[in-house]
Parts: sequence; structure tokens; C-alpha cells
Amino acid sequence: MHIPDGLLPSSVYISGYAITGGVTWYSLRQIRKKSNPQAEIPQASLLTAAFFVSSLIHIPIPPTSIHFVLNGLMGIVLGYYAFPAILIGLFFQAVMFGHGGIAALGMNAAMMGIPALLASSVFRFSNPLERKQKTWTGICAFIAGSGAIALSASIFTLVTLATISDSIDAQAERTITLLALGGYGIQALLEGIFTVMVVSFLVRVKPELLDC
Amino acid sequence: MKIQPLSFLLFCTVLGISPKVWAHGANISYQQTQAIEIQAQYDGGTPMDNAQVTVYAPDDPANPWLKGMTDAEGKFTFSPDPTVTGNWDVKVRQAGHGDLVSIPIAGNANGDGGGGENNTVQIATAPTSMNSGYTPLQKAVMAAVGVWGCVGTALFFARRKSSPTPAVHSESRVEG
Repeated sequence: MHIPDGLLPSSVYISGYAITGGVTWYSLRQIRKKSNPQAEIPQASLLTAAFFVSSLIHIPIPPTSIHFVLNGLMGIVLGYYAFPAILIGLFFQAVMFGHGGIAALGMNAAMMGIPALLASSVFRFSNPLERKQKTWTGICAFIAGSGAIALSASIFTLVTLATISDSIDAQAERTITLLALGGYGIQALLEGIFTVMVVSFLVRVKPELLDC
Repeated sequence: MKIQPLSFLLFCTVLGISPKVWAHGANISYQQTQAIEIQAQYDGGTPMDNAQVTVYAPDDPANPWLKGMTDAEGKFTFSPDPTVTGNWDVKVRQAGHGDLVSIPIAGNANGDGGGGENNTVQIATAPTSMNSGYTPLQKAVMAAVGVWGCVGTALFFARRKSSPTPAVHSESRVEG
């Protein structure tokens, strides 16, 4: 789920960079308020690596193939660190593997990073302090994990539908884009389950990682 | 036998409006051209079948020169106009995914360079596949390098800050 270079109008790419610039500034400002901003860089780096590699593992679901995005999990574990981590991961994906692109980097970062921040808020807001209730923690993790990817897919679909050019068969493109939502639904389900598994593991072995 | 004028006119009219009916022969002409075949795949290697293809000529990049769709294998073939040299842009799109590739086509300057009879078309055929073109091994090495960069960053920031050894302690041992 990466918006590629060259397919959308320039205004979309520029808007993406504007949004990403603002959110990056806000995230870094929130990180700077912490007593030790460098303390959480190790886990941010490791999750950036996971995010970077996850785009290479493809699951074919017609008409396209999907891969884990992990933005919900990154939001849960990293909090405000998630947005710059996703931005860096997307940059390396674009440079090394051509996923997305440099022009589309801002749009892709906004599309995946903002839902990560929302997932972080949802997880913390709906799961206050008491994490001994494993069922409730799992439900919150599932909502945050699957909701983040569902929101990203919705943004992707809206941008795609809003920017269909006259040079192609708009109806066919619209139909297949809406059909692809089914695949994204499966992806959201899988990511939600994966997020629950990771969060349950972290609650058991290192719950302080979820308190950033 | 006397031919009636009306019958003669009717006979001529039938011949004139439906030549295919009366023509039992066939004629096939051919012309040798150079074609470009593209193959569009998703990153995972799945062909982009029935994806929409738009070809833009170098002299008019705003308006499509050709539209079409890829086949079941994600392939699409077209013959560019040999008189129009430059970068031919081919855009493939499906469900918001896709790619744009520029195919350089240069006229061979045997003639006037602008479409003379002796001109041939040179096509840079190296990047015929619209994916990154890396082998799985290359991708694995690149991924490992990227991961190692992140792990190295994590280790750097996770290192324990070494506490300075008190020099007084060693000096006191010497003295003692």
C-alpha cells in the first residue's frame, strides 16, 4: 500500500509533504519534551527495521498483493516516535526497493504515520493503566492495530478515487479500487491479530515498552 | 439477350455497395516494425493483469498517444512511431498502484534523423520489466544492510555509558 511516483497530480505530492512536515515537527516537539529523548531510540530503530523489512513479505490477495505495514503496532509501542520512524522506513523502502517513491514520500508518510499516532492515542486512552485485564488489552490492541491499517487503506482509496485522470477508464479503475478494499479488510484483520500477539507478548515480558 | 437498363443499374449498385460479398480473394500486407513489450508486476512478482496502460509520445506528453490494457501476464506491446524520438512514457495503473517508465527511443542518423527511409529505431531494452529488477538474493542483501543499519543505531543508543574509573583508587593502591 504505497502511493507510487508519477501517477498522481503534483498538488497531491506537495500536499503530502506539507502535512508530513507539520506532523514531523509536532512529533519531534513532543519527543523533545521527554526527560530523556534518546532513551526510546533503540526500540524505534528496531521497529523501523521491522517496518522496513515487512514491505518485502507479500501475501497475494487478488487483484493485488498485500504486505504487513505494522503502523498500528509502531504507534502502540513508540508513541510519537512512530511518525519519524515510519518516515525513515519509507525513505529507505523508496530508495532501496522503489516502493512508493521520493515524490510520494510525504503522502505515504502521512497516510501511514497519522493512523499510527491515532492508534497510539486509542490504545492509551482506552486502556488506562491497568493492563492486568488481558482480554481488554487484547481488544484495544486489535482495534489499534487493525484500525490503523484500515484508516491508511481508506486514505489510500480516497486519494486514488479522487485523482483518477481522464486518460484512463475511470469506471474500471474505480471498480477495481473499491474491490481492493476487500483485500485491505483481510490485511486489517491479519494485522490486528498480529498486533494482539505482539502486545500480549510485551505485556508478559516487558510491559514498560508500552508506556512510552 | 437484351439487358434491361433497370436491371443493369441494379446489378451495378449491388456490386458497388457490397464489394466484400463478391470479393472471394484476400490480401494481407505486412510491414516490419520494432515493438516494445513491457511487463508490469507488483513488487511480489504477481503480474498486473488487465491493468490500464497509457502511452505518451515525447512530442506530446500531456495527451495519451495510445491506451490499452495489459494481458493476463501483465504484458503490453506497442509499436512507437519511429519518427518521434525521445523518451516515450508508459504509465500502468491498477487500483491506485502502478508505475511510470520512460523508454528512450533514438533515431539512428543514417538519414536526416527525422523519419527518412534509412532511419532505424534504437530502443534501450534493458529495463523492460516495470519493477525494481533486483534478484531475490540482491533484495535479501539490501534488506540485511538496512536492518543492520537500524540495529546498529539501536545498539549505539542503547550502549551503557561507561563510568569513569577513579584514578585516585589506583594511586592509593600504589601508595599502599
